[in-house]
Order: sequence, then structure tokens, then C-alpha cells
Amino acid sequence: MNRFPYGHAALSILTVAILTGGWLLAHPVSKSAATLTFWTFAKTHYDTYKEAVPSFEAAHPGVKVDVQLVSGTAVTSRLQAAFWADLDVPDLVEVEISSAGSFFRGPLKHVGFVDLTDRIHRSGLWDGMVQARFAPYTSRGRIFGLPHDVHPVMLAYRRDIFEKEGVNVEAIETWDDFIAVGRRLTRLTDPGRRYMIELPDAEASRLEMLLFQRGGGYFDPDGKCIFDNEIGIETMKWYVPLVVGPNRIGSDLGGGQIFTKAVEDGYILCMVAPDWRTKSFEMDIPRMSGKMALMPLPAVRRGERRTSTWGGTMIGITKHCAKPDLAWEFALHLYLDKKELAERFRGTNIIPALRAAWDQPAFREPRPYWSNQPLGSLYAALAPEVPFQYTSPFISTAKGKLSEALVASVQHYRNHGDTGFDAFVRRQMRQSADELRRLIGRNPF
Amino acid sequence: MKLTIGWKIYRGAMYVTLLACAFVTLTPIVWLVAASIKGPDDLFHHMFFAPRATLDNFRDLFEIGNPTPTVHFLRCGVNSAFVACSAVLVQLFFSSLAGFALAKYDFRARKAIMVLMLATMLIPGQVVMAPMYELIYRIGLVDTYAGLIVPGAVSVFGIFLFRQSILQVPDELMHAARIDGCSEFRIYWDVIMPVSRPMIGAFCLISFMGAWNSFLWPQIILHNSERFTLPIALNQLVGLYQQQYGTLMAGTLISVLPVVIIFMLLQREFVAGLTAGAVKG
Amino acid sequence: MRLDWFRLQHRFAPYVFVSPFLILFCAFGVWPIVKSMILSLYVTSGPKDQVYVGLANFRFLLTDADFHIAVWNTAIFAFWSVFVQLPLALALALLLSQRWLRGREWFRLAFFSPNLLGQVFVAVLFSVLFVPQYGLLNTVLHSVTAWFGRFAPWMPVVALDTKWLANPALVMPALVLTSLWMYVGFNMIYFLAALQAVDRDLYEAATVDGANAWQQFRAVTLPGIRPVAVFVLITSTIGSFQLFELPYIMLGNGPGPNKAGLTIVMYLYQTGFVSGDLGYASAVGWTLALGLLVVSLLQMRITGVLKRGSE
Repeated sequence: MNRFPYGHAALSILTVAILTGGWLLAHPVSKSAATLTFWTFAKTHYDTYKEAVPSFEAAHPGVKVDVQLVSGTAVTSRLQAAFWADLDVPDLVEVEISSAGSFFRGPLKHVGFVDLTDRIHRSGLWDGMVQARFAPYTSRGRIFGLPHDVHPVMLAYRRDIFEKEGVNVEAIETWDDFIAVGRRLTRLTDPGRRYMIELPDAEASRLEMLLFQRGGGYFDPDGKCIFDNEIGIETMKWYVPLVVGPNRIGSDLGGGQIFTKAVEDGYILCMVAPDWRTKSFEMDIPRMSGKMALMPLPAVRRGERRTSTWGGTMIGITKHCAKPDLAWEFALHLYLDKKELAERFRGTNIIPALRAAWDQPAFREPRPYWSNQPLGSLYAALAPEVPFQYTSPFISTAKGKLSEALVASVQHYRNHGDTGFDAFVRRQMRQSADELRRLIGRNPF
Repeated sequence: MKLTIGWKIYRGAMYVTLLACAFVTLTPIVWLVAASIKGPDDLFHHMFFAPRATLDNFRDLFEIGNPTPTVHFLRCGVNSAFVACSAVLVQLFFSSLAGFALAKYDFRARKAIMVLMLATMLIPGQVVMAPMYELIYRIGLVDTYAGLIVPGAVSVFGIFLFRQSILQVPDELMHAARIDGCSEFRIYWDVIMPVSRPMIGAFCLISFMGAWNSFLWPQIILHNSERFTLPIALNQLVGLYQQQYGTLMAGTLISVLPVVIIFMLLQREFVAGLTAGAVKG
Repeated sequence: MRLDWFRLQHRFAPYVFVSPFLILFCAFGVWPIVKSMILSLYVTSGPKDQVYVGLANFRFLLTDADFHIAVWNTAIFAFWSVFVQLPLALALALLLSQRWLRGREWFRLAFFSPNLLGQVFVAVLFSVLFVPQYGLLNTVLHSVTAWFGRFAPWMPVVALDTKWLANPALVMPALVLTSLWMYVGFNMIYFLAALQAVDRDLYEAATVDGANAWQQFRAVTLPGIRPVAVFVLITSTIGSFQLFELPYIMLGNGPGPNKAGLTIVMYLYQTGFVSGDLGYASAVGWTLALGLLVVSLLQMRITGVLKRGSE
């Protein structure tokens, strides 16, 4: 120790620095040997894509595809920052629907993704896929992503309890019918023990879905904020009394193990179920097998749209990609290969955006978990009606603003009931939307 | 007599209070250790240690047997160690050298430099985050280790710390060395630094903790998951394996261990260094 | 010749010693500060696309509802951390500074230990401790309050499914609790050092004068530790205003339910590095800096440090 006069702290730090530095020199960051690197953020996607890679590599000798699983936040913030700083980015990326818009903020020429509009029109995909699903990945008329899915929405319900209580699901056509049944079932037990439907009062994912069903949304095709229009106000005024006050039929406990328990206990009877969520039910609540079933979303008015949409993913090719044509082929291989799609549907329950894939036998198979309903056909039947949802670089802010309006309205309704509710909702929605408009107005790009 | 009984009760009460506080403080740490060696079924079933201990969490953490790991945890540990130690060394050198100059020499720009340093100390680091990122981008250091180390290479706090302690070194030592023909750098290297050993120890620990635990700047600068430091890697782990609490806790435990070990070695110097500025200033 | 070199190197030594620091300091300390003033007059999309907007960023801050939420949350957090944390830290330090106490070193180590864990790691740990239904905190709180509830039925029992991190009203208490756990021991170290530096004779003199414990505390202890107390007050206020990692990680890399965990620095991070507006982020940063300056000056004013000059 005496030979090193600066103390053992400095000595040990020096030693560690040299050792680790040497190790890092000996193990440089691996330069990917792959021809194409591909990021996805969903574990289910990752597992199925790994299986789809060998057939692509076999068809393209010498090509190697590296599929990587990264966390969702990494895709949004890290990828965006990498685009700005011209860093090494993967060749292909899957992006979640609610963050796709944030990539379109700067000038069109600096959007990090390759403009796919012409390829999509040339290859006939514009007509072959559900057109509504291009909207969330479109900015200023240009399409930057290929839709992975449609995500039509149905209602998952506890068939066993419904049958015991003598509910005829066929007779539920509109939300009014549904609410009437809901009030009856919610009153059957002690207060606070059973709710008709899972609806949260502090976040807007379900409200948003219902807004889409009515043809409303956050933005119009030009990216102007419209969630405070008449449709938005009507939806909010209709939604809030469902989750708070004397006539409430909805509640929400949260996700994970608590949700499992809430479903098993019959605390909530109906759950909003886009196709992807049915897989979560099967995985997380296996005990409910055979006791669950699906029905279309009740319509707002008789004969109107009986579905909506919740969630989604796109695949995009980054401008960094040296071989965009090969990347495009790989994207098509993942999203269009009918045999793979059928196989993947069995694994994920997600129906693809490619209409031609839906008539395969896999989609007609009865599912024991869902009381032997043919899950694929049910969703596919609703898929063409899925509403458009337009996006904007400010989509995540918009979601936050709608949530704030919801929380404020819930608060007001809890304290004052119907008195002055209409005026309050109008004022609140207007205010939230104006805040967003001011933000959008600042964007000079 | 009565007084002594009252005194005893008072003392007892004080000990009980202190022990209770210590218990509350240490419980989460004990739970962390326990959780990292519990299987998923035992995790919430047993409040603390389960009868069956397992190292599965650590195996999952390092993804042993997985040819294409998603979070390179071992590598991130090495990254963290390298970045933190290099940052400490660089800071140590620059801060002590400048602190020495500011303490022992009377030169023209001294006052101005001191004022400038004090002024920038008043401005929180977040103010310069955006231009710093822009700067790092322009000199091409985004997503490099240097991009993490260089911006923090000079620590104004460290300079004050060293200036303060070097001021107390008697000038006679320097004069004697000069008469022996030592160059000024030799004086710094062979005379001043060895006698500042306690301050070096304290500074090493403080700046090591800062660098090791740093999150926001690496989060902005790093992109390639093979360059991640542990805080970034752990956050990534949370995003990917939200429900695998055992693995998360194992990762947390591994990440805090080095700091705990170093602290145990340097406890005395650390407390001295930490409070030096406050008590004297 | 030799002598000349010797005198030369002596003369230039300080400049040489200071220059590496000075160069780095100018490049990474001073220049970014200047640049951030310039940048705050621009709207940007990443570092590449920049448009000059004058003072529009600052004007927008005045009407930006999200920024106001962030300021409010941060101020509330700072208030609680300062007014709960510091008295607790002082109390612990007073307990530990009793002369007859044994095992002081061990207690000090125990109280300080949470601070060894970085904020990120604490956040990950506590996000698991706060889990509803099964988490350690709820389990303990529930059984303790239920046990008390048997004797005092009026006492509310903490529900097992209390959602600390999903209920907007509970996010802030959860954050304050976590930071209490982390920092009480840290600040205690300062108080302890200060208490041990107070002159013993003063206490004896006070005892001779017949002062009781409280009077001693007021007359001897408080004046004795005042410089340190002010230092701790200001640094922990500044620290709380820079809150970022705890909420960001505990709330799943976001502001939490209804933005209840949105802090100023988180807003800065989100606008600058997620939305890419480095200019607006700089404006937020400057507002934070000015706010901190004002708060620190106020605190010095109130605690009387300024009036007494450089004491």
C-alpha cells in the first residue's frame, strides 16, 4: 500500500478502470453481422417472428435477419433520439400505434422512416388491407408504416353468470339495452361487489375506444384537434355516469393479478376485448376457460357500427436501412405470408390487416376457452367496420389531455351529479382541447 | 434514586425509538435481499425469506443459456464500472490540479475563475442538458463512453473541496521541495497529492456514487444496448419483464452492491468529506 | 539556463494547471449555459431543425397547463420533503448525539444505508414494495391498522388493494414516503456533524443557568447548528426541485395517473428529449434555475444568513 501514495480508494478505482477498460477493448460492441436488424417491443411478436425468419433466409441466400426484443419506451424515445443524431438504427422497427405519431413532428424530409406510400399503392396493398389502419401511420398524406393488425373490439363476458341470470345476449343490440341489463345485474348483489363492465375512471383508453366507435377521435385527417366536438362531448357525458354516481355500472381495479381475480370473482362481468386482449385472457385467467364468450360491441343506435378499435402496431423501414427493397420484402413476408399469418393467429389471436388471409381455416376454428365460438371469424366479420383514427405528432399529449378532461368530469359528476354537468363538460373539453391546440400552434414544422 | 429510574426509562425509550427507526430503514433492504433469492411462487407468499432459496433469478438476469440476450446485464455491469471509474479518475485529476493551483498560487485570473465557478454552481445541471446534448451531438460523441465521461470531467464541487483541503497544507512543504529542485508538477504529484489522501478517498467515493447512479444523462446519450450502464439496463428490464419481480430484485441487488462495498471500505473518509464543506463553510 | 527554466515553469505553473480545467469548463460548463440562453429562443425538432421564435417559449410557459402541473407537483414534493424530512433528520441526529449512547456508529450506518442505493434502484425496489394486495407496504400497513382498529374503531384501516402508484391522489404521498426513506439518514449525517461541533461548555453554562432541555435547544443547539441547517435546507430544497428518477421509474417511465407525478425536470426531459424541442426544454430549465435562485435567496433571507453578512 505504501508504494501507492494516493490511498487505497484511488488505487482500487484505478485498477478497476484499467481492468474493465481492457475487458471492453477486448470485447468491442458487436457489429451486427446481420443483413437486416429488426426491433420489436412485444414479446408475443418476438416469439412468432423468430419462427418466420428461417423461411425468409432460405428464400434469400446469404441474407441474415436479426430480430431483437427491446422495451417499448426504448422504441419511442431512443429511436427518435437516434433519428435526430443520425445514429445507427435498426433497419426495420415495429412501433406502437400511440407513439407512431411522435415520429412525424419535424419536416417531412427529416422523418426517420422511409415513405412507403408509393410501394403500398403499387403493390395493391391499399385495397388489400383494411384502409382505416393506414390512418394512424400517415402524416401529411404520406404513409410511413404497414399495419400489423386491425384490432376490432368486442365485449368479452362471463357467459356462465349471464346464463344464470337469464340474460339474452342476442337481445343486447344497443348500449341502452346493455345499460338496462347492467343496472339489473349490478343491483343484484351488495353495492360494490359486482359491476357490469370494466371501465376506468382515471384513464381514457376505453373512453377513446368509445369515441372512435361514434366516429369521433382526437384528430381530423389534417391533424387538427377535434376531440371537443359534439361527438366528443356526447361521449364524455354518456361515459362519466357509467363509472361514477348512483347509476354506475362500470369499475376498474387495475391490471395483472388483481384483474385476474376481479374476473374470476365475477366483480366485473364484461370486458372490452380487442382481439389481442383475448390472448391475455387465455394466458392470465386460464380458470375461466369455457365460461367466457364474446359479443359484438353494442351499437350507439340500432343498426350502427358494432365495433371499434383499441391498440395497434406498424412496421416501418428506417432511412438508415441500406437495403430498403430487401427490408420491404421482409416486412411483406412477416405481414402478408398467408400461411405464416394463419399460424401466427393461432399463437396471438390477432387477425392481420390483410383481408385475404381471413378465409383460412385457422380463423374458423372453434375456441374452447370462448365457449367454442369461432374467434377469428367473429373478429374478421367486424374488421371492415373498424373506424379510422387519425394521428398527429401530438397524439400522446392529446391522450393525456382527454384523460385530464375525464378525471375532471368524473370529479364534477361525483360532487354535483347532473346539475350543471353539460356546461361543465363542454367547458372542460373545450379547455383541454384548446391547450392542445395552442401546443400544436407552436410547431413550426 | 427516583431520578435514576426515570433516567433509565428515558434511556430505554430512546434505544427503542432508535431501534424502531433502524428497523424501518433496514426492512426494505432485507426484503430486497430476500426477494432476489425467492422463486416466483414464494415471492409474495412469504413476506421475507422463503424456506427454499434459489439462484434462478440471477440465472434469468444474466440470461445464462440464451444465445441472443436482450439485456446484456453482465456487460452493462462492466460498462458501469468502467464509466464510473474513469469519470472519477478524470475528475480527480482535473479537480485536484486546478484546486491546487487555486489554493497555492497567486496569479492574475484567480479571482475571476473563482467567481465564474461560483456563478455556474448556482445554475442547476438540467439547464444545460439540451445544449450539452446538442454539443455532444455536434462533436460526434452521442452513444459513446466518452460522451458520458467528458461532460462531467470537471467538477466545480471537487475543485472547491480540494482547494479547501490543500489550503491547509503548510507552504513550508512546498518551499522545501522547491529547494530540492522539484518542478511545480512534481510538487503537486509527490508532495501535495500524497498528503491529501483523506480528501482523495472522500472525493472518490462521492463522485463514484454520483457516476454509478447517474441515470438521466446516460438515458439521453446511450442508444446501443451493449453500451448501457446498469441504471439504464435495469429500467429496460422493468419495461420488458414487468411481472418478473424476482429477476428485477436480483438486478437491483447486483447494481447496488459495488457502492455498498466501497462505502464499507471508506466509510470514515466519506462522512468526513461529506460534512467538510458544510461545517467549515 | 537551468535556473531560467525553473523560474519560468514556476511562473507559468498555475496557468498550466488551471488550463485543462478551464478549457473543459468553458466547453462543457460555460458555453452550454450561454448556448441554452440562445436555444431558449428557438423551437427545435432534435438538434438539426431549429426555428427562431424569440420569447415565444417563455410566453408559452405562462399558459402551458402541463408546465403548471409540473411546477405544482414539484413544489408540493419539495414542501413535504423539507418540512417533514429535515425535522425528522434533526430529531434522529439529536437522538444519536446523546453522549451516553452506545453503538452510535452502527445506528448511523443503518440510517445512512438507503442513500447508498441510487434513486433508480430505490425506485425499482419501491415500485414493487408499493404493489397493491401483495406488496410489503400494504400488507404491513393493513395488518397494523387493522390491529389498532380493534382498539380504536374510529381509525381507518388501510385497504390491502390501495393502489399507491395508480391512484392520482396517492402518487405524491408514495413519492414523499420513498424520498423520506432515502434522504432522512443522509441529512441526519450533516446535523450530527454539526451537533458534535457545538461547544460542550455552552450546555454546561446553560445547565448552570437552570435552562430546561427545550430552552437549551433554543438557546444553544439551534444557533450552533444554524449554518449547517441553512446549508441542508437549501441543498435539500434544490435537490427536491430536481426530482426526476423516482417518479419516472416508479410510474413506468411516465408522469403517472393524471400526471400526478409530473415534475419540472421530467417535463424538461419529455419536451426536450422525447418530443425533441430542445429550445422549449431550455426555457423550462431557465425557469427552474430562476425559481431555485429566488427560493434559495428567500430561505437565506428568512433564516437570517444574509442579514448577518458572511458570518
